[in-house]
Amino acid sequence: MAMAADKPSADPIAQATAVVDLGLRACQAYGREDLAERLTVARRTLADPSIHIVVVGEFKQGKSSLVNALVGAKACPVDDDVATAVPTYLRHGDKPSAELLFEGDPPQREPIALNEVRRWVVEQDPTGLAAGAGGAAVAVAEQQRRPAGVEVRLPRTLLAGGLVLVDTPGVGGLGSTHSTASLAAASMADALLFVTDASQELTRSELDFLARARQMCPTVVCVQTKTDFYPAWRKVKALNEGHLAAAGVEIPIIAVSSALRSRAVAGNDRGMNEESGFPALVSFITDRVRGGATGRLAAEAAAGVAAVCEQIASQFEAERAALADPAAAARVVEQLSGVKTRVEALKSAAARWSQTLSDGIADLTSDVDHDLRGRIRDVITEADKAIEDVDPADTWPEMQSWLEQVVAAEMLANYTLLRDRATELSEQVGQHFQEASGEVLRQFAVTNPTPLATSIEVDHNIELDKMKVGKQAMVALKAAYGGAIMFVMLGVMTGFTLGPLALGIGVVMGRKGLKDEKKRQIATRQTQAKNAVRRYCDQVSFVMGKDSRDTLRRIQRELRDHYTALADQLNRSNAEALRSASEATNRTQTERDRRLQNLTAELDRLRQLRQRAEAVANR
Amino acid sequence: MNLLERTRSVLTTARQVYQDTTHDTRLSELADRLDEPLRVAIAGRVKAGKSTLLNALVGDRLAPTDAGECTRIITWYQDGHTYQVTAHPTGEAPRQLRFNRDQTAIEVDLAGLSPEKITRLTITWPSQALRTATLIDTPGIGSLSEQVARRAFELLAPEDEETPADAVLYLLRHLHRNDLDFLRAFHDTEVSQPNPVNAIGVLSRADEIGVGRLDSVASARRIAGKMATDPNVRRVVQTVVPVAGLLAETAATLTEAEVAHLRKVAALPVSDAESLLLSADRFAELMPALGLTSIEREALLGRFGLFGIRLVASLVRHGVATTATELAAELTDRSGISELREVLNTLFFQRRDVLKSRSALLALDRLTRTEPRPGSEAVATEVEEIIASAHPFRELRILSAIRAGWVDGKSDVVAELERLIGGGGAATHQRLGLPADADHATLTSAASEALARWQRRAESPLTSHELAVAARVAIRSCEGMLATLRESR
Repeated sequence: MAMAADKPSADPIAQATAVVDLGLRACQAYGREDLAERLTVARRTLADPSIHIVVVGEFKQGKSSLVNALVGAKACPVDDDVATAVPTYLRHGDKPSAELLFEGDPPQREPIALNEVRRWVVEQDPTGLAAGAGGAAVAVAEQQRRPAGVEVRLPRTLLAGGLVLVDTPGVGGLGSTHSTASLAAASMADALLFVTDASQELTRSELDFLARARQMCPTVVCVQTKTDFYPAWRKVKALNEGHLAAAGVEIPIIAVSSALRSRAVAGNDRGMNEESGFPALVSFITDRVRGGATGRLAAEAAAGVAAVCEQIASQFEAERAALADPAAAARVVEQLSGVKTRVEALKSAAARWSQTLSDGIADLTSDVDHDLRGRIRDVITEADKAIEDVDPADTWPEMQSWLEQVVAAEMLANYTLLRDRATELSEQVGQHFQEASGEVLRQFAVTNPTPLATSIEVDHNIELDKMKVGKQAMVALKAAYGGAIMFVMLGVMTGFTLGPLALGIGVVMGRKGLKDEKKRQIATRQTQAKNAVRRYCDQVSFVMGKDSRDTLRRIQRELRDHYTALADQLNRSNAEALRSASEATNRTQTERDRRLQNLTAELDRLRQLRQRAEAVANR
Repeated sequence: MNLLERTRSVLTTARQVYQDTTHDTRLSELADRLDEPLRVAIAGRVKAGKSTLLNALVGDRLAPTDAGECTRIITWYQDGHTYQVTAHPTGEAPRQLRFNRDQTAIEVDLAGLSPEKITRLTITWPSQALRTATLIDTPGIGSLSEQVARRAFELLAPEDEETPADAVLYLLRHLHRNDLDFLRAFHDTEVSQPNPVNAIGVLSRADEIGVGRLDSVASARRIAGKMATDPNVRRVVQTVVPVAGLLAETAATLTEAEVAHLRKVAALPVSDAESLLLSADRFAELMPALGLTSIEREALLGRFGLFGIRLVASLVRHGVATTATELAAELTDRSGISELREVLNTLFFQRRDVLKSRSALLALDRLTRTEPRPGSEAVATEVEEIIASAHPFRELRILSAIRAGWVDGKSDVVAELERLIGGGGAATHQRLGLPADADHATLTSAASEALARWQRRAESPLTSHELAVAARVAIRSCEGMLATLRESR
């Protein structure tokens, strides 16, 4: 084990990678491929960390221009009128390329030329006037094959290190279904850039969005764009800071000019770059966002290495105890056999963590379902009331979007419940597993009379593993909601429509009949409308219900597999220890002395590696 | 008896019925309102540029404007003989306020009254522009201050009264959900279904669409054209006109001193000027050799905006316009305000009687329903009869039915129908789709042809029920045009 730690690298990812590599070599050296598997996964995540930064904001605030200015390329199409329609994912690549992403599991990919990105990303002209009849038909065919996203790869240093910038559509305003979907996406993202232009103060819907986003996403920053064009941007910024402070939302505001930045990049003008305000934004992204996310990843990976070290060390400790005192060897073997039963119990379905998990998932499934039903029922009640107050024919198109919006908000709340409770449950399961396995580990420690054991800070270890605990649930959830397709929820929603309302409106021209006829027609339409709303809600809750049951099942499987694997590893460690301890009794004194020396050396190395991993994890 | 006379007569009946009740004064107000100028409210989201547009329409800097949210009280600007500001505090008698007119706006001293307590301010200002219409400036919706936003809603869509405004100019920045919701609230359901009759959409701050590129206004025109064909927009406004309010306001009040300052910018070498005008901050700070103080520069930015400065510099440099008069004309032309005036004229002012009667009848209808008393039933019947039978209202009803997509037919047929019943303006040549200078004979023959065509359509068994009903209204419109043409010979 070469100790490269003498010159510490500033990059936590590099440090963690070095530690993981050492851990992997140790696993190989000691023949523990089962433990290596865990580290290989961590190694892969470190190599491609995928830190998502979602760019959101109202319609026409300059989101795409901001993203373009950040990477210094025209990656996202910008237009005065038509807006971005599908999310664009910008990530690092050795040479520029683009791919369409279609929904599916895993998402299907289809490479396209960079200059075709525009055609897929911008809204299609709904009137089809420009294209004529033939063009319209093509547009319709393409509409049906609308991609869930477009991925653009660019060789930019900003994007290196796994940064993914997501340019989102701003259509529909912030109160809409779409923003709810953006919030759901944001909850899975590492950071949120909220874009608002300097033409005016934050509006109430923007402020509401920010307040909610703050709760959903760990890092949120408000980017005020177009400072080149609005002379009063400083005043607007100050006003916005006041609004945010008054609302008790702690979000920094960074004022930038995309126009100046693009010009500065094109002309390689450092002074103008300073003027554009982008250096502050870039350093925010690299230091706070990437720094935070990579720090987290590095800590998780290093914690994994520490856990592996501990397992291998405990195996050696047992052997060493048996070797050091042949008289005690029999006792060690006896104890290890006892541990074996315990470890096996840990694997069985009767184990406490396993019961906690299956009970918890069952409870959670019924709670989430109940919550969803309750919410949908409230929506229907509210819709009925709204329908009774008006003539549905007047409000029908609005009804559809209102309903979508309300249902989406309720779905988000329901999903937040699922997420929070699932995280809670996963922590609980982890704790129960930890308690049981901790006892097992302590068993090793008890049998070990040597001072070395006391230097192992068992408590510390529990801290580290707990950090991994919550992550398991998030992994499962990310598979369900996050990842490449962040707008799944929106897809679910747009699949259904209320359908047209049979208007049956004769343009009644009579004198007295006008009011009575109107009343009759309104009553008919109200009944129709109520039925349509129920149908819609049924469909949505059916899909959503199935979706959350599936998600929970996936979480259950994920957690079960994770802890079963951990139990297997413990079992293997124990079996190895048992074998070595039994062998120890049969060795000659010389062999024993040599082996003891070796073991001490190995344990020392493991201790060093462990300390190093802990240092990285606790940075 | 024409519509206005019928309305007046039913109002007289109503006043007799409600004599000696608390509603008497309200009814007399309604009668007076029939003779007042049309009341046009300027509404829209926060910072849509409502006050700026108001100033541009008046041609004077009356309403205060600012980078932050500015208008917090509903303010009526009406014509009169003297300069006067009156506050109407909630639940108290109106009182006169002191005010101060500086260079940029009217500054009203609220005399300790809190803005929340004031229902509205009335500013009486002798002005030619205000003689045709009383303009109402409203606080923005989507405002962070709850009270202010509710104020605008109350004015335009009060729960139980007639709307104080006869028509509304609705400022849209780029279409936004809230905008449509708000407009719908303003439309009543009684005279007809949601009704594009009394609302015009204005795509405001048109100079900002392309973030200051010189072709911004052209871009805005294209977007406005597209918005006006959107079915959801058509349901609520008649048309959408792009206006660069700041440009129009400045053009109407341009001074020689300002032009002299801008000439200095235009005199710079092109590359220097371009570099200076890259950002507002640069213009405010760089190139001390320009000979403008920072106060002068900031004043120019406030008046013209970066787009305006770029535009004027380019106009002067290319010799398109050099004097203040020429520049004012050029900027007015480019701002789109003349187009808006034209649209206002055809769609609102020419329909003044209909819009006025409509406001009065709606108020009467509500009064008779909420406060029945002996004799009010007869008034209600008469109101309903006018609403159901008066031809202008039938036209409006069909118009909104078309706009709501309830009348099926070939698109060119429906377009002609819409035009005939006054969808593009109430004047005869507009209804017939002819130029304004078309002579009498051309108009007469076009009207007779249209009449024959629509009679055929009304009787054809292939025509849908809705279209046949609409066709009968179109026939009546054609007959009306022919009658007017005969009278005017």
